[in-house]
Amino acid sequence: MAMILEKLPGLTKGLPGGDLVLTTSDYLIDLGRRQSLWPMTFGLACCAIEMMASYASRLDFDRMGVIPRASPRQADVMIVAGTVCKKMADPILEIYHQMPEPRFVISMGSCANCGGPYYDSYSVVKGVDRIVPVDVYIAGCPPRPEALQYAVIKLQEKIAKMSLKKGLATSQQVKGSRDINA
Amino acid sequence: MTQDELFAKIQSQFPKIEKAAIQIKDYLTVRLASKDDLIPVAKWLKGIGFDYLDMVTATDYLGPVDMKGYIRQANFNPFLPEGATPEIESAPTAGFPYRPAIDHLWSFVSNADKARVMVKLETPRDGASVPSLAAVFKTANWQERENFDLLGINYEGHQNQTKILTPDFLQGHPLRKDYVHVKDRFDE
Repeated sequence: MAMILEKLPGLTKGLPGGDLVLTTSDYLIDLGRRQSLWPMTFGLACCAIEMMASYASRLDFDRMGVIPRASPRQADVMIVAGTVCKKMADPILEIYHQMPEPRFVISMGSCANCGGPYYDSYSVVKGVDRIVPVDVYIAGCPPRPEALQYAVIKLQEKIAKMSLKKGLATSQQVKGSRDINA
Repeated sequence: MTQDELFAKIQSQFPKIEKAAIQIKDYLTVRLASKDDLIPVAKWLKGIGFDYLDMVTATDYLGPVDMKGYIRQANFNPFLPEGATPEIESAPTAGFPYRPAIDHLWSFVSNADKARVMVKLETPRDGASVPSLAAVFKTANWQERENFDLLGINYEGHQNQTKILTPDFLQGHPLRKDYVHVKDRFDE
């Protein structure tokens, strides 16, 4: 966003009339969405430590427009950072439903992807995608902060493909993979 | 107070208490003769300065553990034919004293003396029942609930012996060695 704002005066000066920019509504809406992905602040296990490191000054998530929000009602993306216990599954689903549409889920680490080392456990959900639809999976135990930032970049690429014509759905959504009731 | 002095002091008060065969780290480890001794010993230890109950726990010594308790199949390799020999088998550890017993452990700490006493008690596995220490130490309340939840131990006289850790729909006591997982809505 910052780059575009810097270039915008130069671009508009070159146009006839001087202050008019032609763009598609899809591009404008997707631009706003993908450059301000606000995640819900919650951590479940050790992956949350890496997530906190990503937010901190050394790796600086803010430069990508990722600002953690303390309320699910202000959040766009849920980063499931850690092991999902069966007892925690219902609260996670509740948080997911409290988030406004469009909402996205990043599954961070082996535990959230598939149960990880706790696959044989009696108390761990074998992947958060059994309870909520997941957009981006990150491998690792735990993944590096760089991997989390790469996942956000991938999610931004995915959001850039959303289109009003398809009801602002990504190509996966059109196929029904994000339909929670399917 | 050295360990030997402490043990002599305990034994002068409770002659039936003896040292455990295996010491836990470098702490004095004693074994009770019967479960009726537990509350008098705890009250007496609290009186001489062991005023902090650090831990209430137990171990199930049944074994070796059967694979049927696991969620995963014994043959999780999908490329193997039907009825192939299982890749995972439960094998007993040589020399380990498997027995149908539950070994209880209480850890009393004296902050003033910087000392710790481990008190052990072995009971039969089926219907394991020991007196509750919740009336003497308040911290025992939740720890005994945890042991009830995970190991199915009955604590006599506990005010609120209900599940504390596992979800309500989980059946059985997971840390018992004969636990078999009943599939719930989060398993396939």
